[in-house]
Amino acid sequence: MHISDGVLPISVTVGGYAASAAIAAWSARRTRSEELPKVAVVTAAFFVASLIHVPFGPTSVHLLIPGLAGALLGPSAFLAIGLGLLLQSMLFQFGGLTALGANALMMGVPALLCGVFFQRFKGRTRRRQAIIGGLAGALGTALAALVLALLLATGGEDFFGVAKIALAAHVPVVVIEGLVSAFTIGFLAKVKPALLEPAFVQSEKAAHA
Amino acid sequence: MNGCNDTPRRGKKLLTTVVVCAGLMLAAESAPAQTPAEESPQELAALLAEQNTSLAGELRRIQREIAALRADLDKPGFQEVFGGIGYIFGLFGTAAFVASRRRDPKPKE
Repeated sequence: MHISDGVLPISVTVGGYAASAAIAAWSARRTRSEELPKVAVVTAAFFVASLIHVPFGPTSVHLLIPGLAGALLGPSAFLAIGLGLLLQSMLFQFGGLTALGANALMMGVPALLCGVFFQRFKGRTRRRQAIIGGLAGALGTALAALVLALLLATGGEDFFGVAKIALAAHVPVVVIEGLVSAFTIGFLAKVKPALLEPAFVQSEKAAHA
Repeated sequence: MNGCNDTPRRGKKLLTTVVVCAGLMLAAESAPAQTPAEESPQELAALLAEQNTSLAGELRRIQREIAALRADLDKPGFQEVFGGIGYIFGLFGTAAFVASRRRDPKPKE
């Protein structure tokens, strides 16, 4: 799920760059320096995850993990995803450099929403955290498909038609992503629960203090 | 005398028989060479068709191989993957360094 060069109209491209630059700046300000190693690791995981192809029936799908990144990083997720996408488009030729802003919006905004969702609804127990994490992972990909349809609709495509196709094409990804996220977050809850500590709440406390 | 006269005659006879035989053999050789030349269009056509099919099959295989290679070329290799990971950690390392410098600007003075 990457938008290539020349698909979007110029106004949307420029607007995407402006919006994603603004959100990335906000994201960078909310990132605390103690969290930088964690952000780096999740960015690297996001960067590499697109290379993991899961065979599914006749085709194969690859992971996207915006939801997982959002759940783990909170507000820093947009920064991580923007950097990951930049390097992916430069080194792997995934998506185009001109469409980078739109791509960052497409993956980053769902990541932020998933972060809010995960922090709001995760409970104390490990099982609940795993389930909510899996839901966040699935939600991230589905939302990304919707944003893709929204962005393509600005290029003159029919929104509902594109949304239907994009969602249908990503049903296997959504399922696999949910499973992978649930497993990852369950594992992290067992091994290192500090990684799941609410970044939003912490930064809010810091802001209040 | 006779013997003396005979030998060149015999030699001549031998020569003539040899020449005739050679001529016959040549004729015999050229005669069968002419018969396949009459059959050759069909045989040649069959041979060419056979070669064509085998070559076409081989070409198709090579084209498929080229397509697979091109698809492989599009895939990022280990260099790109590790280079990207290195970029990420390097950038975040620099960011952490700058953040730590900013937090206490004068370390030990």
